[in-house]
Amino acid sequence: MAKIKAGSAAVQPPPTATPVGVESIAAYEREFGEKATEWAAILQENAELLKSGRYSLHWLDPKDSGWGRRARPSSRGLTYADVNQLPQSGEMPKTATWLNFAPRGSIREPYRDRMPIVESYTVVDRDELWADNVITLYEEAKARQWNATRDIPWSELERLPDDLEKATCQLCTFLTEVEFVAGDFPAKWLYRIPQDFLEVKSFLSTQIMDEARHQEVFRKRAFAGGGLLHSAPGFEWALKAILDAPTHTMGTFLLNLLGEGLVLSIFRSGEMIAKTHVDKEIFRRCLQDEARHVSYGVLELKNSIDHAPDRGVAIEELHRFADVGELVILSAFSEPALVEPLAVLLGGGLAKIDQGMEGMAKLWSMFIAEYLQRCDRAGFPRDERCKIPKQAIWAK
Amino acid sequence: MTPSERIPFPSLAWFQKLCERMNADRVRYEHLGYVDCIVEFAVRDARGPGRPLRVQVTFDEFSVTDVRDAGPADSERADFTLEADAKAWREMIESIATGKGRPALDQTLNYLSHFDSPFRVSAADPLKRDLYFRYNQSLQEFVNASALGVTTFDERR
Repeated sequence: MAKIKAGSAAVQPPPTATPVGVESIAAYEREFGEKATEWAAILQENAELLKSGRYSLHWLDPKDSGWGRRARPSSRGLTYADVNQLPQSGEMPKTATWLNFAPRGSIREPYRDRMPIVESYTVVDRDELWADNVITLYEEAKARQWNATRDIPWSELERLPDDLEKATCQLCTFLTEVEFVAGDFPAKWLYRIPQDFLEVKSFLSTQIMDEARHQEVFRKRAFAGGGLLHSAPGFEWALKAILDAPTHTMGTFLLNLLGEGLVLSIFRSGEMIAKTHVDKEIFRRCLQDEARHVSYGVLELKNSIDHAPDRGVAIEELHRFADVGELVILSAFSEPALVEPLAVLLGGGLAKIDQGMEGMAKLWSMFIAEYLQRCDRAGFPRDERCKIPKQAIWAK
Repeated sequence: MTPSERIPFPSLAWFQKLCERMNADRVRYEHLGYVDCIVEFAVRDARGPGRPLRVQVTFDEFSVTDVRDAGPADSERADFTLEADAKAWREMIESIATGKGRPALDQTLNYLSHFDSPFRVSAADPLKRDLYFRYNQSLQEFVNASALGVTTFDERR
């Protein structure tokens, strides 16, 4: 061990061990102490009423809420769409003003002044979130959940030649890494969305569950084949670009439309090049989930553009964002730690990696063509400005 | 398997039989989840050169609600089309039969359609094309059910 010199930074006593929680608790005490007149008054009123033995029973009065009409299930059960047909379910606002947990459709107006404001709810514009297919996708997501422990025939997994097994494990390492951000991005925005947009919040919750399952299944597949292999800086920058997107719509474009669109293509390729029935099943299950997320991304972007106060300005801002985002995403999709294992699997072995790269070049063109089609569908023509080469970088 | 069930391919009857099997196995499809789309299954040159067989199947929730030999009036009805020539269909169906309901690794729907050959998925709207991916496992199991009977092929083709 190196000798420690007196007076050097290395021998300074460590800072007093103040648990992080102490400061946080102090802040919490301050916040609720300052507002004690508001909530403590409510507490006192409630306590006095209970002590007096009287009942309020005000909640029995539906006032003008429209209470009374009953929701009826459609053929597949009681969906949000069925409930939303009732006038008393409350109309989704264009701009949310209820920044607390009072449910849309509840009798809440009389209490507005006494309710707290949740400052985290900052995404108050419906058109920064909404997509016309979001209720359908939510129902579909719930119906098509699967279980990475039970629904994959793990016991049938066959041992592969070393090069193919390592290529599979490397691909799974990449996909595990990707799925972390695919869950963290909706999670980052979920708590910023007011409860009046509950349908969107519900769908984003299913996306978080989907992505948790994907990282689970790819992690398990890697360890079932020997273990995880290499993470990569190129992956990390691409994923950070998604997480740091300045708005929900921009991030949804980068994650769901571009990123997940490309990952959907990788899942389809993964199913095609899988060397075992177990891997086929994994990729087939995952690609279904991914296609839902892509569908949300396309129509969320479309809705945002269609309702922008100035369509031209909105599209130009998106182009500026995409100019950066596409290139950063490209840093992941040009990583040897992704391209090479895919080529090995596509070619059928390390000795056939060159053939695999030829196949990859063909897939690349397909990926980009599909991406541009989805942009067009969203009303965001990107063909002329696309920063991702339409032909693979290595294509001759 | 019931050996008496010998259904010729390509034919409307062959697809109708798959629909019957799906409707009889609701529990399995409930486990897989909703399927909401109209798929056109096309067999190129099935009725002679340039004359395909086009069968449209309406999937609704966990079952099939309509199956028809699609005519010109139905051309805009399907969400997407999955088409191949009779030879490619036959190889896939035979692989499913050999695997007793599980095709070989290179005979799954996704494998066969990934490079647009020998199967091709097409749709005017990319969102509708994506339905093929959203329901891929269910569609795979739909065709896998062909192994529950015997498919016969016209050897003259």
